Amino acid sequence: MVKKIEHDRIQEIIAALMEKGILYAPVEDEEGVNFHLVDDPARVTLDFYNTVQGPKCAFFPQTEELIRYRMTHEGADAAEVEPDESPQVLFGVRPCDVRSLAIMDELFCGGGIVDPYWKNRRDNTTIIAYAFDTVDTVDFYGSFGIGAADDTGADILMVKVDGDLLLDARTEKGTALLAALDGLDEAAAEDEKRFAAAVEGAGALETRRIDTDCVARDLPGIFDSEFWQTEAAPCLNCGVCTFVCPTCHCFDITDETLFSKGRRVKTWDSCMFTDFTLHASGHNPRTKKHQRLRQRVNHKFSYYVTNCDVISCVGCGRCTRFCPVNIDIAGIVERARKRASSQQINNQ
Amino acid sequence: MKNPYMPMPVTIETIITEVDTDDIKTFRVVFDREEDAVAFQYLPGQFAEMSLYGTGESPIGIASSPTDEGYLEFTVQKAGMVTSELHGSDEGRTIGIRGPLGNTWPLEYLKGKNVVVVGGGFAFTTLRSLTRYMLDGGNRQRFENITVIYGARTPGLLIYKDELAAWEKRDDVETYITVDQGDENWQGREGFVPTICTEVAPSSNNTVAVICGPPIMIRFTLPVFFDLGFSKENIYTSLEMRMKCGFGKCGRCNVGSKYVCKDGPVFSLAELDALTPEY
Repeated sequence: MVKKIEHDRIQEIIAALMEKGILYAPVEDEEGVNFHLVDDPARVTLDFYNTVQGPKCAFFPQTEELIRYRMTHEGADAAEVEPDESPQVLFGVRPCDVRSLAIMDELFCGGGIVDPYWKNRRDNTTIIAYAFDTVDTVDFYGSFGIGAADDTGADILMVKVDGDLLLDARTEKGTALLAALDGLDEAAAEDEKRFAAAVEGAGALETRRIDTDCVARDLPGIFDSEFWQTEAAPCLNCGVCTFVCPTCHCFDITDETLFSKGRRVKTWDSCMFTDFTLHASGHNPRTKKHQRLRQRVNHKFSYYVTNCDVISCVGCGRCTRFCPVNIDIAGIVERARKRASSQQINNQ
Repeated sequence: MKNPYMPMPVTIETIITEVDTDDIKTFRVVFDREEDAVAFQYLPGQFAEMSLYGTGESPIGIASSPTDEGYLEFTVQKAGMVTSELHGSDEGRTIGIRGPLGNTWPLEYLKGKNVVVVGGGFAFTTLRSLTRYMLDGGNRQRFENITVIYGARTPGLLIYKDELAAWEKRDDVETYITVDQGDENWQGREGFVPTICTEVAPSSNNTVAVICGPPIMIRFTLPVFFDLGFSKENIYTSLEMRMKCGFGKCGRCNVGSKYVCKDGPVFSLAELDALTPEY
């Protein structure tokens, strides 16, 4: 059952969603538009192509408290910061970014020890996906079978059509949320058609595509190639690619103490920084930038596939869009694939 | 759900300074809570994150054996912030432990085989755990001949000196202790670990070598074992990497498709050959 609200009345739906729990939604900030914990419905916007950063902050905040402690003479008194179980809504997520969450689930909730902070938030979040209606040239989510109005992983799919927002539930959780929201209009049969037409129209949107077949298998074969020095030559080691990436998950754990009180926090970190792998002894397995770029590409397109059977990239295009020196991961993967196949031919 | 980031409180019961340079100490700790002591079931080769609030955490191999009841031991070299803070601690201080983490020495595989333990310098801690475990009363019969070859640069840098002396007196383990260079009081062997391995020449028949040491020692010791006929499947070692979470989420110790924290730290040479050489 499609529901409807005029785009101009977005504040009403935001206010209604805020009643249902914690709300993460796109908000204009100094960087551009990003997901924020919403405290004022007036700040939420749907006028953006995609957010600067991925939506991981709703489950894996840039800084997350794990423990609070107080230093004592014998050591410290410490208390766990219990993983949050509050219901929350993530509003206005592009389909490729919705897919990134399932990829991250493999890591945080997959085999072995589960990260309770990620898992609890995932279990308690209702996701309202927001279909694309245009394509940016750097995006390549189509390479991963993701459509511009893909509803995979979404509880509700939202499209914007001629000044109206049309929403349709995709799961029981989504149905329950839509039913409980005040201010939404029941859609007329005409709106149902508009919704279907918008979804179909988005299906015709084509991103650029890269061939990911065999990449996971072939990348290790060019590990020692000079290819990586060439590709990494312009890299400034700024780490923005990992910061905006919806599937980059590396983090640090540090203690912050002020006088006798402190907190142990988990903070986003980046494999693009040289200190990331620096041992206390001074030894460092990845001191050179080509080693770090190679690590990032291999981790996403080969190692993650070996471990989780899925490429850890959704083709959102952010790393390319924000790279100050125009390094394009899609191009690297394409060239790596060609290099690997020509190397195989030469070896035969 | 148990929070894997939350350390268990332990109290430092005893601190032993192992070497004459004072920068390697063994910390014996006991759990503050009985339920933690019961829950902490480990095997030789595993490690734990040692946690000091206000400073941070550091992954340290467990040097005691699970056959040692009532306590854990960690032998720690003073290197970074956490280990320096730990070295400055007094007995009685409460610290934290997260673990046990990582895989173990291949105990099932070692069953019924000869085991050659080769260590150099400070890198003898989880090998000590393994050796103590194998030499423990009930366990000894599960293994055939046990040989320990251990060396340090100087006599003062040998760790676990009393224990080494006790092993030398036992007749169910062959112990070869060496130093690169002795001093006026040293009456034992002199020579690098690879040289002693050549002299001892353990048979590769039904034998597994377990080797830990500084890279230079490993580099010269491996060819000795290859010449003796050891296959890469029968040589094991333990890797060190910078780590944070210790259970495969933070991404720091990723080498190829493996995480040293959860897929290691113990690997056979055959497994290491399949990895990218980034450790």
